[in-house]
Amino acid sequence: MLVRVEGLHAGYGLAAVLHDVSIEAHAGEAIAVIGPNGAGKTTLLKTIMGMLSATRGSVQYDGRSLEGMRPYQVARLGLVYVPAERELFPTMTVLENLELGAFRDVRAAAERLQRVLALFPRLDERRRQLAGTLSGGEQQMLAIGRALMAGPKVLMLDEPSTGLAPKAVAELYRQLARLKSDGLTIVLTEQQVPLALALTDRAYVLEQGAIHLSGRSSDLMGDPSIKKAYLGVM
Amino acid sequence: MTAILLDGIVQGLQLSLLAVGITLIYGLGGVLNLAHGQFAVVGGVAAAILVSAGVHPLAAAAGGIACAGLLGWLVDRTLLVPAYRYHGEDRLLLGLILTLGLSFVIDGALNYKFPEFSLTFRLPLAMVEVGGIPMRTASLAASAIAIAVFAGLFAFLRFTLLGKTIRSIIENEAGAELCGIDPGRTRTLIVILAAMMAGIAGVTQGLFSSLGTEMGPEFTTLGLLVAVVGGVRSVNGTLAAGVLLGIVNAFASHYVGAYVAYILLLSAAMATILVRPAGLLARFT
Repeated sequence: MLVRVEGLHAGYGLAAVLHDVSIEAHAGEAIAVIGPNGAGKTTLLKTIMGMLSATRGSVQYDGRSLEGMRPYQVARLGLVYVPAERELFPTMTVLENLELGAFRDVRAAAERLQRVLALFPRLDERRRQLAGTLSGGEQQMLAIGRALMAGPKVLMLDEPSTGLAPKAVAELYRQLARLKSDGLTIVLTEQQVPLALALTDRAYVLEQGAIHLSGRSSDLMGDPSIKKAYLGVM
Repeated sequence: MTAILLDGIVQGLQLSLLAVGITLIYGLGGVLNLAHGQFAVVGGVAAAILVSAGVHPLAAAAGGIACAGLLGWLVDRTLLVPAYRYHGEDRLLLGLILTLGLSFVIDGALNYKFPEFSLTFRLPLAMVEVGGIPMRTASLAASAIAIAVFAGLFAFLRFTLLGKTIRSIIENEAGAELCGIDPGRTRTLIVILAAMMAGIAGVTQGLFSSLGTEMGPEFTTLGLLVAVVGGVRSVNGTLAAGVLLGIVNAFASHYVGAYVAYILLLSAAMATILVRPAGLLARFT
């Protein structure tokens, strides 16, 4: 098991958000955490990364506990997070943003850069442009590209489709599918449920801070309660 | 006229050198260092002590700068540790109080140990003509040093990976951390670097004028003014603001006197804040 979250309780100050959440991802697997706004999806990912501390429960990654680690330490272990806000460096160029993603491993940077630019040809076209001048879709590609530059074992994405035009979303999910078929482990949260279920092997439904349902993504796609709540069909 | 202008530029470059450290520490660490002028004085005083102990002036200058850097490292690793545990406004306020206290301690200690002290490097002060204006070589040397330091700083921030990580933290600390960058270690490095640049300003001050132990608060105030006018996160803004305020100061001191010059400097700072709240060269306001 590459990522194992067990009995996680977490929140902001006195406001508890997550109650006894357990999820796991095998190496090479893609999993999705779906659910409505405010269900605690972002809180879950931030707690895994060490940006928030858990009040109870544990996060195991690659056989070790991540308890007490800072986000940069988690990132260095190969668990790399792309937040919904993307957190790019707006006045630095596309290339500089990518370079910083690989700053721990300068020797591998050139080769990884080739791969990232091959995956996202649009970033190649805009390599000298400042990150702040990119479109939303391009910024999301840059955020994912920067994460890939670290040579991650697990790529964690928080609602990658947020704020993107439908065409950009489709392009992004094609690229994520390519990463998955290359063997990268992917953990993502998403509100666009059909896309997320089509990409992933398994999925968890998070509602009001607790896992309500989980299973194979293809099964969940046919589940009546999912259809009703998330797919807009009766 | 031209003589006053040149004099202003010389002084202004010194101010920039002093202020850029305030800019970097604020941009990277979220702490406004109210003891920054004292870093400069400590550097200058240490250099002077070495000179009087018979050390070659160049080595003494290097020693003084290293001493300022050491002080920066100590302050970052001890005094500022509690401030770094907090974020945003809490860190800023705690940092203000801690560094203000530190400035009192340094001022007191220096005035007690070295009363009536003044540093001047007794170098051959030849005059040269620049565009028909006689200038002291020491002023030119001080300016050349400041320009070289700035050129080095720009190249470092722009072209080296370490410099880029520094810029990335100034721009977006959360994003930098997601790249695996340790903001704490980089912060320590930048405090040391900033203190050393203050040390250079202190030493070069002794080169073309004199440096007294009581000058810390004045340096801090001027440095803060320059940093604010330049935009407290912009290095090139700080350079421009230092030169600009240096020129304003030189003209004001010449025509209306030193006291009114201060008022004019403050007015210039206020005007900038009103017109360009994020600083002279701010790209994003």
